[in-house]
Amino acid sequence: MSQKLVNNGPGNLAHWKVQDLVATTSLRELLFSNDYRKIALKGIFTAFIMLGLGGFFALVFRAELAVPDVQFLGARVYMTLMTLHGMVMVFGFLIPLVVSILYFMLPKVMGTDRLYWAGAAQASYWILIVAAVLLVIGRPDFTWTAYAPMSFRTGNPYLWMGHVAIILVAVSEFLAGAVLFRNAISGGFGWAKTPLMGWAAGTVGLLFMVSVLPLAFAGFGLLSDGLHWRDVAWFDPSRGGSVQFFLYLFWSYGHPAVYLPFVPAIAVIYTIMPRFLGHKMWSYWSGVVAFLLLALGAIPIGPHHFQPVHTISGPYERFVQVLTMLVFIPSVLHVFNWISTLFMAPIPASARRAVPFKFMVMSIAFIIYGGATAFLNAQIAPDSDFIHNTYWIPAHFHAMFVGFTAQMGIAGIYYLYPYFTGRMYNQRLGNWHFWLWQIGLFIQITAMGVAGYLYFPRWVYDYLAMPGWAESQLFITIGGYMVGAGFLIFMFNIAWSAGWGREAPADPWPVEMDETDAKAVQPAQ
Amino acid sequence: MENALGIWGPQAIMMAITASFTVLGLIMLFAAILMKRRWKPSYGFEFGFIAVMLGLVWYGDKLSVGTYSAYQQNLVEGSKQVSGNYEPGDDQVFDRTFTLIAFQWGFAFINEEEEISRNAVVVEPGQKVLFKIVSNDVIHGFNIPVAQITAEIDPDDQREVWIKAPDVAGKYLIQCVNYCGVGHAQMKAWLVVQGPDATASIQTDGETA
Repeated sequence: MSQKLVNNGPGNLAHWKVQDLVATTSLRELLFSNDYRKIALKGIFTAFIMLGLGGFFALVFRAELAVPDVQFLGARVYMTLMTLHGMVMVFGFLIPLVVSILYFMLPKVMGTDRLYWAGAAQASYWILIVAAVLLVIGRPDFTWTAYAPMSFRTGNPYLWMGHVAIILVAVSEFLAGAVLFRNAISGGFGWAKTPLMGWAAGTVGLLFMVSVLPLAFAGFGLLSDGLHWRDVAWFDPSRGGSVQFFLYLFWSYGHPAVYLPFVPAIAVIYTIMPRFLGHKMWSYWSGVVAFLLLALGAIPIGPHHFQPVHTISGPYERFVQVLTMLVFIPSVLHVFNWISTLFMAPIPASARRAVPFKFMVMSIAFIIYGGATAFLNAQIAPDSDFIHNTYWIPAHFHAMFVGFTAQMGIAGIYYLYPYFTGRMYNQRLGNWHFWLWQIGLFIQITAMGVAGYLYFPRWVYDYLAMPGWAESQLFITIGGYMVGAGFLIFMFNIAWSAGWGREAPADPWPVEMDETDAKAVQPAQ
Repeated sequence: MENALGIWGPQAIMMAITASFTVLGLIMLFAAILMKRRWKPSYGFEFGFIAVMLGLVWYGDKLSVGTYSAYQQNLVEGSKQVSGNYEPGDDQVFDRTFTLIAFQWGFAFINEEEEISRNAVVVEPGQKVLFKIVSNDVIHGFNIPVAQITAEIDPDDQREVWIKAPDVAGKYLIQCVNYCGVGHAQMKAWLVVQGPDATASIQTDGETA
């Protein structure tokens, strides 16, 4: 497995070369080169721009929501910002960030030093850019779930652009999935020796390719219904269509869509944790089994997002409920594996200092914090009680998406920083970023959960001063602004350190014990 | 089954399990970081953990299905009465039955006498009220915070949701919780709870009854 990273033998470390990639890459190369380092660099740059954009949208509407009543945002502008926040963050930031990190790390971990099917990765990138441009021009206000028939009845004349963007996202993600899968099987290790990052890329690549098919069809159906291409609609009940059909299609993608960034983020942990700790993961097969189970469970449990309805009842309803709770298990296998690995030996002082290691530990904390509620969310009784479409749901997915996936992506960026710039990030600024994000995210996510428990509805720009509502919204806004401040510090750090940071040594992440570590109790074998 | 599903019934157990699971996980993680003592956990430990989780899945499914079907049971008995077998004077399961139309953007309540009221529904304290909900345009949500119930209504579906009205007279929020278009934030109605003698004095501005 990640043995390759741990054994810093000449053959293994050859691909991990500290270099100033940013300064030696021309703009032309950055845009069109099929070199995997440059494709990854471009993807990561773009993801940061998207993060800035999506975060800016969030800070604008968080200011509006900080106190009850209408301040400065109307309903339509609010919903456009909210829709773009969701779409830009998921399709533009999260998925491209972790996929780009895999593009960079896979060829090194697999020992190939090249990205197979790099042309497809290039095409995937540019198709996504077209989709993003369409979204910004079309300014859809139908939320990222684009529920039919509302999403073609919002009165916006450029709605078709949003629907075309959905189809393009599907095409782009299909290509990205194909690239990940191709590279996962490229190492020639045989299936019992493939690094865990290979297993992750293989399973999530397949999941990408299968799950985007219903998304593409959902986008096509919305486009067709919105432009009245057929007399009998696909999804509009007033013209003979079926909303249930749309819901099944959409959530057949929509639930796996959560795992598309989630699994690569997990793969990054499996790759950098042994590197920081200087020893192997606790269990290889536990990780493999967890990747397989997660991929198998992803699509069939989609209906838990909209049950109960008359098309899901009796045994089927119960099947979805039980399977949703069972999908809890692969994630717990991962977390158990990580915690056990941390327990195995003293944690080196070098790891304790490293900002990426800190982000990694706290992202594990957030996967526990947000993931445990999945057990509750899966059950129909509590779902019908206070969970369905209240702020409880944003609390859950912000913990998973931001607290875990985005923070793990950030950990990956800090880790890869010397390989991109040849320099180290600024430690002090890194610590500021770390603490602002942990405290900000904890406040934000906890306040969202409280708001959900008090039945604060989702997707409103204006709300009544019910007991507890204004207070929880104010706290979410405070947390959001702390995350925004952390982002600015992060951006300044990586820009400043690229020119003036400490030059990175040949191995930027040496495993160094200090005296207390050496005295600590050694593991009992 | 006092107040529809009710957070403080069997749900509280699930909340407690979830909370303890979170705390346990965080303690394990921070112990792994902060504790001096080190050891390699045995693989059997993980299998034990999985066994506990399978037990939790079994228990969660059992409790959820039990709770929800007890709730549904009341619906089934109720709908028998309103679908043709309605005989006044019978031992009625529901005190009131409303057909509820969710539309862009508001709620219309149709009572047993086919009288329509928009955005307010009047019931007596402690009554068991059945709402037969349909949507005539897009997907809507239906949530009464005080009754601890939330549901999603698709335009090609019909939902039946019942609640027990609060015992204290007053005006309680009914709201849409599913994004349904630009007027979603204004899609609200009031559950007005008042004694039978006060019926004549409903104020048109929707203030306290």
